[in-house]
Formats: sequence, C-alpha cells, structure tokens
Amino acid sequence: MMVSAEGAVDFTKYIVVANTAVVGAVLVVAGRSLARGALTSDVPDARQNFGEFILDFFVNKARDMSHGLDRAKVMRWVAPVLGSLFLFIFVSNLFGMLPIPKLNQPPTSYYSVTLALALCSVGATLTLGLIFKGAKGAIKHLFWPNPMQWISEITDVLSLSLRLFGNIGGEYMTLTLVLLYAPLGIPLVLHALGLIPAFVQALVFTLLTASFMASAIHKEEKKPKKAGSRRWKLFGAKQERDEAAPEAGRLEEVPSAPAGSPA
Amino acid sequence: MSPVYMGLIAIAPIAAGAVVAALAMRQISVSAIDGMTRQPEIAPQLFTAMLIGMALIEALCIYTLVVTLVMAGKVVL
Repeated sequence: MMVSAEGAVDFTKYIVVANTAVVGAVLVVAGRSLARGALTSDVPDARQNFGEFILDFFVNKARDMSHGLDRAKVMRWVAPVLGSLFLFIFVSNLFGMLPIPKLNQPPTSYYSVTLALALCSVGATLTLGLIFKGAKGAIKHLFWPNPMQWISEITDVLSLSLRLFGNIGGEYMTLTLVLLYAPLGIPLVLHALGLIPAFVQALVFTLLTASFMASAIHKEEKKPKKAGSRRWKLFGAKQERDEAAPEAGRLEEVPSAPAGSPA
Repeated sequence: MSPVYMGLIAIAPIAAGAVVAALAMRQISVSAIDGMTRQPEIAPQLFTAMLIGMALIEALCIYTLVVTLVMAGKVVL
C-alpha cells in the first residue's frame, strides 16, 4: 500500500491526514463564525441560539454528572471535551456524504484516527480523575475494588475505537463495493441510511466517554456503617426488594380489574 | 483446502455474530419501545439508555467483523 509495484509512492495514506485537517478547518471556521460578534444574555439572535442549541446538550450532560462536586469546575472541564469529541466525529462521519472523490473518505473510516480519538477519550478520563480526586484517588480507581480494574481502561480504548471504525469504515467499504456494480440510484439509499450511524455513533462515543468520566471523577461514596455483618446487609437489601415487589404487582393488577368486572 | 471453502470459513464469524447481535438488539428495542409507550415522558432517557446498550452489543459484532476482515485478508493474500 505504501509503495506500489512501479516504485512510485502511493499517497492514499495521506488522504486521512488531509481530510482530518479539513474537518478541523471546517469546525474552526464554523465555530469562529458562530462566536463572532456580541453575545447577549437577553433574547439571543438566531446565530447565538443555534450555538447554544448545540452546546446545551453537553453542558447539561456535564451538569448531570456534577452532583456532590464543584459544579462550575466540572462543567468547565468536562463540557468542552464532550462537545469537541462529538462535533469532530459527527463532521468526520458526514464527510462520507460529500460528492467529491478524494474528500468523501471520512477520517473516522481509518483505524488510526479512531484509535487516536479513543486514546484521547480515555486519557481525558484519567486526567479528569487526577484533577478531581488527586493522584491517590486516581490510582485507587485503577486498582480498587478489583485489582485488575486497569484492564478496563485498555478494553475501553479497544471497544471505543473498534466500534467507531467498524461502523463508519464498514459503511464506507459497502458503499465503495456497491458503487462498483450499481453506480446509479442505489448509493442514494445507502447514503440516506448512512446518516443514522453517522449521528448515532458520534452520540454513542460521546455518551460512553461521559459515563466513563462520571465514574472516574466521583469518589466512592462512604456508606454509613450499620450494625451487623455484610451478610446481614445483603439480607436486608433482599428483604427490601421482596417488600417492594407486591407493590408493583398490585399496580399491575389495577387496570385488569375493571375489565373483568361487569360494568 | 480449496480457496472457496477457506473463504466460507473466514466469513463464518460475521454471520454468527450478526445473527446473535440482531437477536439481542431486538430484545433491547422491544423493551425500550414498551417502556416508551407506557411512559412517554421518560422516552428521551430510555432512548439514550437504549442507544448505549445497543452500542455495547454492536461492539461485539464489530469485533467479529474485525476478525473476519483479518481472516479474509489472509485467505485472499
């Protein structure tokens, strides 16, 4: 792939770098043009409203995970990471829809790009744990309660990167193969269907990163010690469940009662 | 072994993985739609949870796709 049979250098592998740069340029230009001019806390104009509509989701996500912590600090650290991850992945996925020959290879259909994104995500998670819990808490998160907990960070990188690569790269491969045999009409349907994973995979990547971060920045809650051993506590929890169960059963029976009775 | 049989063996994992993942995703979407029709007011939260569950299942299917691609590459080359 790197050097073809004639000895000429093949530039295929540089397309990914160029396309990633184009995605970054598009995002920077769009962001600058959205944030240009005066921002108001009064009734916003359409431009500011659109920008806030995009950022609203990530800010809410960061606020949701900030209970028990310094809310402003969590939002300032977490929301930009989530927002930039989502926007980069979403715009990259949408590049597959462009009708321009070289530009329509989405950067996320290369494993190098998705691996880099997953490494960024897990690295940001570990860094946030370091910031919010200190070095001791962050190291404890890797080895406690399970001493092999650190393996989950490696599998997180693998699962995040392989999921994104498999979806977008698989779709790009399918599209390329279909284009060879049916260049008219049918690719339109595939493009339309491809809009769904383009959005969903970006959302899933962001949501999973958010849940990893939420588990990384929270200290283990110290439960008040009750009298009795752990076994009693387990037994107590089971009892509570059993007491709650008849309640649910009664609620289920309510709709069926009028149907059976002669009215 | 002839290349045809080797190709068939190479693409077997993705077939099995797709079938099992489809069954699991069916279960998830049926449960989520049940919950959404019962309580439409928590539909957005259910949708988010459904997407995450589907993504976790899909990851397993993607692993088989990667294994298939590796094996198919070895058969073809």
